[in-house]
Amino acid sequence: MKKIEVSRRKFLQGSVSLCVYASSAMAMPLATTKTSKKNAEDVPYLCNMCRNKCAGFARVEENIITKLNPNHYFPKSRNMLCPKGNAAIQAVYDKDRLKYPLIRMGKRGDGRYRRVTWDEAYEYIKDKLVKIIDEEKDNRSTVAYCNGEGFNKDEYIKFFGSKLGSANFLDEGSICLNTKLGATQLTIGDVGEMDVAGSDYMIISGANRYESLITPDSVDMLHAKQKLVVLDPRCTMTAIKADEYLPVNPGTDLAFCLSMIYIAIKDELYDKAYVKTYFKDFDKLKKHILSKKYTAKWAESKTHIPAERIKRITKEFFAASHPLYYLGRRSVWSQNDFQFRRAMVLINALAGSINRKGGIIFGKPFHLHEEEINEPLYSNTVDRFDLDGIVYGSQKGGSWLNFREKIVTNTSPYPVKAMFIRKHNLMQNMPNIEKTKKMLNMMDLVVVLDTMPSDTAVMADVILPECTFLEREDMVVSFNRLEPSLALRNQAIKPMYESKSMQDILKGLGKKLSVPLFKVSAKHDADLQESIKNYGKEKAFTEGGYNMTELYKYDITTRNKKLITAQFGKKVYDSLKKRGVWHPYIDTQKEIFNNYYEYYPKEKRHYTVERNYKVHCYLKKLEKHGFDPIPAWNDHYDFKVPKEAFRVITGRYVTTTQSATANNEMLKDFQEENYLWINNDVADSLGIKLGDSVAVMSSVSSIVIKAYPTNKIAPQVLWLSHGFGIHAREMTHAFGKGASDNMILEDKFEKIYGCATMHETNVTIRKL
Amino acid sequence: MARYGMALDYKNCINCKACEVACKEENGVELGAEKHRIWVGGNDPKGEWPLLDIASAAFLPSQCQQCEDAPCQEVCPTHATYYDENHVVRVDSEKCILCSYCMNACPYDARYVDDRTMTVDKCTFCSDTRLARGETTTACQNTCPTKVRTFGDLDDPNSEISELLRTREHFSLKAHLGTNPKLFYLT
Repeated sequence: MKKIEVSRRKFLQGSVSLCVYASSAMAMPLATTKTSKKNAEDVPYLCNMCRNKCAGFARVEENIITKLNPNHYFPKSRNMLCPKGNAAIQAVYDKDRLKYPLIRMGKRGDGRYRRVTWDEAYEYIKDKLVKIIDEEKDNRSTVAYCNGEGFNKDEYIKFFGSKLGSANFLDEGSICLNTKLGATQLTIGDVGEMDVAGSDYMIISGANRYESLITPDSVDMLHAKQKLVVLDPRCTMTAIKADEYLPVNPGTDLAFCLSMIYIAIKDELYDKAYVKTYFKDFDKLKKHILSKKYTAKWAESKTHIPAERIKRITKEFFAASHPLYYLGRRSVWSQNDFQFRRAMVLINALAGSINRKGGIIFGKPFHLHEEEINEPLYSNTVDRFDLDGIVYGSQKGGSWLNFREKIVTNTSPYPVKAMFIRKHNLMQNMPNIEKTKKMLNMMDLVVVLDTMPSDTAVMADVILPECTFLEREDMVVSFNRLEPSLALRNQAIKPMYESKSMQDILKGLGKKLSVPLFKVSAKHDADLQESIKNYGKEKAFTEGGYNMTELYKYDITTRNKKLITAQFGKKVYDSLKKRGVWHPYIDTQKEIFNNYYEYYPKEKRHYTVERNYKVHCYLKKLEKHGFDPIPAWNDHYDFKVPKEAFRVITGRYVTTTQSATANNEMLKDFQEENYLWINNDVADSLGIKLGDSVAVMSSVSSIVIKAYPTNKIAPQVLWLSHGFGIHAREMTHAFGKGASDNMILEDKFEKIYGCATMHETNVTIRKL
Repeated sequence: MARYGMALDYKNCINCKACEVACKEENGVELGAEKHRIWVGGNDPKGEWPLLDIASAAFLPSQCQQCEDAPCQEVCPTHATYYDENHVVRVDSEKCILCSYCMNACPYDARYVDDRTMTVDKCTFCSDTRLARGETTTACQNTCPTKVRTFGDLDDPNSEISELLRTREHFSLKAHLGTNPKLFYLT
């Protein structure tokens, strides 16, 4: 038997990677309450502690949430809640929460605000907006708006995009996974879903599924009978739990993939029948790859993975019956990111692992009906500019870094004067925080809708307190493709303090804005003037769709009931209210072992569906813009790290979701601050010991952080978790703890999707 | 009446802390590292970069081992520590005088002082919360993302845990001490 340390005391002394530190437990208020012996109400809800969404039941005792438990009806989350999900209670009862509408009194960022009524806040926003939009002659795009939360995003877009009329919407995609979504969509015509449970051989590049949990993948991986191979520049928990771990030189996963494709084609390991039926331009791919000679030896020189291992793994992969190269969802790393993601899709396709068990599946998601609204046409509104110079880019969520660059350098085609920011911590979420600050300081109006006084909230002119996800009902959502289901977030408790749901906030804002903004349009918009002349003011307003509260005629419960009952019937609606979930086999699903259920019977899962699609090897548009139409390695992908410098990479701990959980008292208890991972031999030579303060300097700025010397990282690489180093003093648990990666990361972005490349910064360090 | 035990498929543990948070929230355990009822011990992979032996890293969820012959119960001078009707080792906070004999006697470091109730406390298998309400799972078992924990009645031959212990090899921590734990680590 292996010897494993079991002692509690020794464990506490010895480990920083596990990072349990005795915090100042003495004078702490009661953060936890024992659940009572009584039966209580169990309200089904959907978690919102990260983007993933798991289902749970909130135990509510006398209007107080005392415990959150997993919901076993939800196929996606497989009857579990992670540490963050369990700690969501602390997000609701966080004493630092935004409680009342606030208007700024001091300078931006200094945190001085006065409490106002909702009406005063709306009035303030209205006066500013009328002035701004009038100045810009009804170019509605002068109001940018952004959202970092998955739920309600579309509804938020309907308000500011469709109704208010701005083209400038930005979301987290360009600082997250847009290259992956784009690469999959452009190569096989759909973003698909990965059937982890059905795969017998899985390769993961960089996605850290055991510390950045995504359901059902993270749950299924340990129970699937599969070989797991993990490439990562850092020995993560996912790497430790793998069957084989390949330490890889950061940003070179593309070279590994190209070599796999080379070997598969050269040795004819690929699925010939599949390629013949589905591939478009396979000849071009073949010619290109073979002529480039992406041999295992070549890949070794880039990736530092021994050639023999690359060869063997490629052979094993293509010999497996259900191989899957797992397309992680994660922030973008380097300039080659899009090509890397595309190469992974092509590998799956070469193995025939598309639209079948254990591969990238298309499946059959439930398509929910849209609630239709009447959209005004603003003839003076100008289109977005943040995709200028970007080949594809997301038409929906744009490119944050390009947008910000054009604002701060005054090169946007028109001024953006106002920003509405919902649950999107701009001051922490993208590289080069000073630039973000500069951008926000250039605005005439910044409005923040959030639950916490984040670094971004304290830059706002007006703060509108939103309630947490446990205090509201949201519109029904459709999940997954293989085992599709519907899920509904029910309201566990009423909104606390004076906070409101997003819908109620927008309804109030819409009431206040509709007529005054219509008048601005009537002043500048020739088409509207014509329409008023022909039909009269009232009709032009109503039929033109200028009433911004149109979607909020009914409350959310009524809207859900109408929508769900009309499309799926009363039984489904009742299930969603009572169990939070509906899927066709909910009444017959069975527990197969310890808390693990079978939802859809195997033969009913949508592994393979009828679909006309092609695998596109060659993307003409890329060639037109001077990029590789087929994935290739370019010399400028070779990232140089000068002697005595380090390349910084980022990620996160299992207990954190970016900066959103920064102030969570329970999670802080496990991970109070972040540490800088540094190779133990390098640390030794620099005299750096565990817990020593180290200054980390880049071309952008510098931070101070405690060191964690470890054998789990390469000599010229440093790692730190995102989501620490919060500047807002109002976040009392988070303030001053650890350091922020985005303080030092250089703000580079790739030009195919306009995504920030997070792993292309060199730094030097100094022991303090 | 039952004889509750827990089997841990510990190789599936990813040290995610879900069980620890669930336990704290369910049982109202104070914050602070010293106040854990359950914790995960572990060690990093051996070797030097890049030649790491990932198989040498392991994570072991730990807590009160619910011994059949508990040293903590034996040494308690006030009989504050007792076995309840389900063979769970419990602590009566009315009787506890914080003498800390139990803390020293426990070979598993499972006990800590709860400053609110002034009791030397520990894992109770959620006996006074979930089980008292008639539920059949503990908070840690119920929430575990990778399904490490199986909780149940060892006296019931048809229970999932009895089946597991019949069919899978397992070991107890510090078995040589003769404490007869009711936590079983599956190999």
